[in-house]
Amino acid sequence: MRSALPSDGSLRSYALAILMVGLVIACAGFAQTLLPPASADLLFLIPVLASASLHGMGPGLFAAVLGALAYNFFFTEPVLSLRDYRLSDTVTFLVLLGVAILAGSRTARLRRQAQLAAARSKQDAILASFSRALVGAEDEAALGQAICQEAGRLFGASAALLGPGEPSLHLIASHPPLEHLGSVDAEAAQLAMSLCTSAGRGTTSMSASGWTFYPLATSQGVVGALGLAREDDPEPSAALGEPRLATILDQAALALERRRLADEVADVERLREQDRLRGALLSSVSHDLRTPLTAILAASAQLRREGRSDPDTLDLLDGEARRLDRYVANLLDMVRLEAGALRLRTEPVDLIDAVAGVLRDLGKGFDVADLRVEVPADLPLVRLDPHLFHHCLLNLVDNALRHGGGRGVTIRGLRSAAGLDLVVLDEGPGLPPGQERRIFETFVRLRGSDREGGTGLGLAIVKGFAEAMGLSVEATNRSDQPGAAFVVRIPSALLVESLRVNAE
Amino acid sequence: MKAGRRAKILVVDDEPQIRRLLRAALDRAGYAVVEAGTAREALSLLQTQKPELVLLDLGLPDRDGLEILPLILAQSDAKVLVVSAREATEEKVAALDLGADDFVTKPFDTDELLARVRVALRQRVAAAAPSGALTVGLVTVDLMARVVRRAGQDVHLTPKEWGLFAELARHPGRVVTHAQLLRAVWGPAHEHDVEYLRVTVRSLRAKLEADPAAPRLITNEPGVGYRLIDEP
Repeated sequence: MRSALPSDGSLRSYALAILMVGLVIACAGFAQTLLPPASADLLFLIPVLASASLHGMGPGLFAAVLGALAYNFFFTEPVLSLRDYRLSDTVTFLVLLGVAILAGSRTARLRRQAQLAAARSKQDAILASFSRALVGAEDEAALGQAICQEAGRLFGASAALLGPGEPSLHLIASHPPLEHLGSVDAEAAQLAMSLCTSAGRGTTSMSASGWTFYPLATSQGVVGALGLAREDDPEPSAALGEPRLATILDQAALALERRRLADEVADVERLREQDRLRGALLSSVSHDLRTPLTAILAASAQLRREGRSDPDTLDLLDGEARRLDRYVANLLDMVRLEAGALRLRTEPVDLIDAVAGVLRDLGKGFDVADLRVEVPADLPLVRLDPHLFHHCLLNLVDNALRHGGGRGVTIRGLRSAAGLDLVVLDEGPGLPPGQERRIFETFVRLRGSDREGGTGLGLAIVKGFAEAMGLSVEATNRSDQPGAAFVVRIPSALLVESLRVNAE
Repeated sequence: MKAGRRAKILVVDDEPQIRRLLRAALDRAGYAVVEAGTAREALSLLQTQKPELVLLDLGLPDRDGLEILPLILAQSDAKVLVVSAREATEEKVAALDLGADDFVTKPFDTDELLARVRVALRQRVAAAAPSGALTVGLVTVDLMARVVRRAGQDVHLTPKEWGLFAELARHPGRVVTHAQLLRAVWGPAHEHDVEYLRVTVRSLRAKLEADPAAPRLITNEPGVGYRLIDEP
């Protein structure tokens, strides 16, 4: 904004007004020899118009006063005297003043418009350079760095950009680089994001922080917070003005959101490709590994029938081949589980059938003479995927037979307060204390017990499949005697309590 | 096997090792074996060799096994035994619904496979002249007289129990899908009411099994169907 006080420029404009009036006096003096003296006053419009339109109302009025005086002094009788003031002189004076005022105010308006246009284009240039800096950032970190650098430059402040994260906010970038934010600052940032309002220094909340945080919000929600800090200025944003700050915050928010959406699209694309590969791998592994296993088992059966080999050796061969087959099945199941590719086909299942199916499968390669089944025939039916449940139970019983110290394994079904429990008990050394939960993790084989060997996949599959069907599994040690107890808890919601009988 | 003519079996599998071992096992058990490695080969051998039974692997290189199964059944009167991976419950049910006789899971047990083959071939004979009488363990059933005896004692069955047991007894040793049983006994409207089936199987087991909690007579194939075991 232009100041009312005369600056160097305006002093010069007053000097120019004097010069122009002097020139007009000289010209008019010369012209007087040719023209009637009455028309000389019109000539004084020239310096007035020129001063007012070039330099504003002040110099214009100055030229008008100067011109009126000069006219009176030089060109009215008595010449070279200000005396003998007449009405026509007053009219000349008023006309000159009026012209000065009109031209001066018009000039002032034009100049204001020009200044506004210049300011707007400067603002546009700032925003353009800001958004230019944000385009072309290849990932969130680079984008964050660009936002911080530009914001820091524009506001002459330190800048930090934070995004949502667990458990606390995640510092995406800062300029100059920061290791981390202080706890008060982080809290202010958290507040800015959760309330979607500015927080920290110079605001009404968390003003103890050295930073002022502004939320970066889009129509989708708050995507982050931008912090600004300047040692000497409690409100660095004032340097550019509120509307510009808002625009910059909007731009940063949109850029961040765009980046995240692009990342998500890329992620989905990558996942889809992974799924496709996984599917191809699944069917090829299934075929490629099953075929030799089938051949080995068939060959062993042929040897047995021909009596060409020792039956114990053939038992071993069969047992190991079937074990390998179970590992393959487990691997395939695990891949399917982790890919989220399980499709449940639920139907009412009789636990009697489920247990019998497992015994039938195990009977091919295991000595199941030591297996006791205590599942009453009158338990309610359970809504389950029979295939998944079969694998769940198969792995639990297989685990108990393998790790239970080679002694008796019991499968027990019983009513519980919450529904139904299916328990697999062994008589082995039990689980090391504190490890009961870990045993269901992928590839965990508990040390400090003889529960080693095996791929560790089986129990992870038990847990994964059980949870997919709405069941839960627990591992504990038996209370009545040494040994482990694996419990499949079936909630009452899955039980078919009142059987619909249509048996007439 | 009856003397004179050996039953002919077409083995369809793209793996030569599996075909070789199956041929050896079937040969030894007294069957004549022809082999096909592709669906196309299988369909042409079906015309020229006229096998009584087809062992069909569903994973063929040129066409899906489920696709050629109806063609085999339409172009011949051969029975089809499907060989599939363990995981493929839906595939098994689909194959059975399309008319396959039974399935064997890979890696298969040779004894189990031979038992299924025997059942499938015997059914061809049984279907031609239904004797109506069947003995399974301690249980005897006369389909014509509608009488069931356990250890010589008459067992009273409700109409639904009888319907279910008779349906299984008509296909001894063969899996009958849940949907087939429900359609036959309760009608097409109840095709998905597996619960009815479970309840009736329970009461049947209570009347016929030595230990209803450890069924040996009526066994379940998870997600597929029931089988009346006819061999010890």
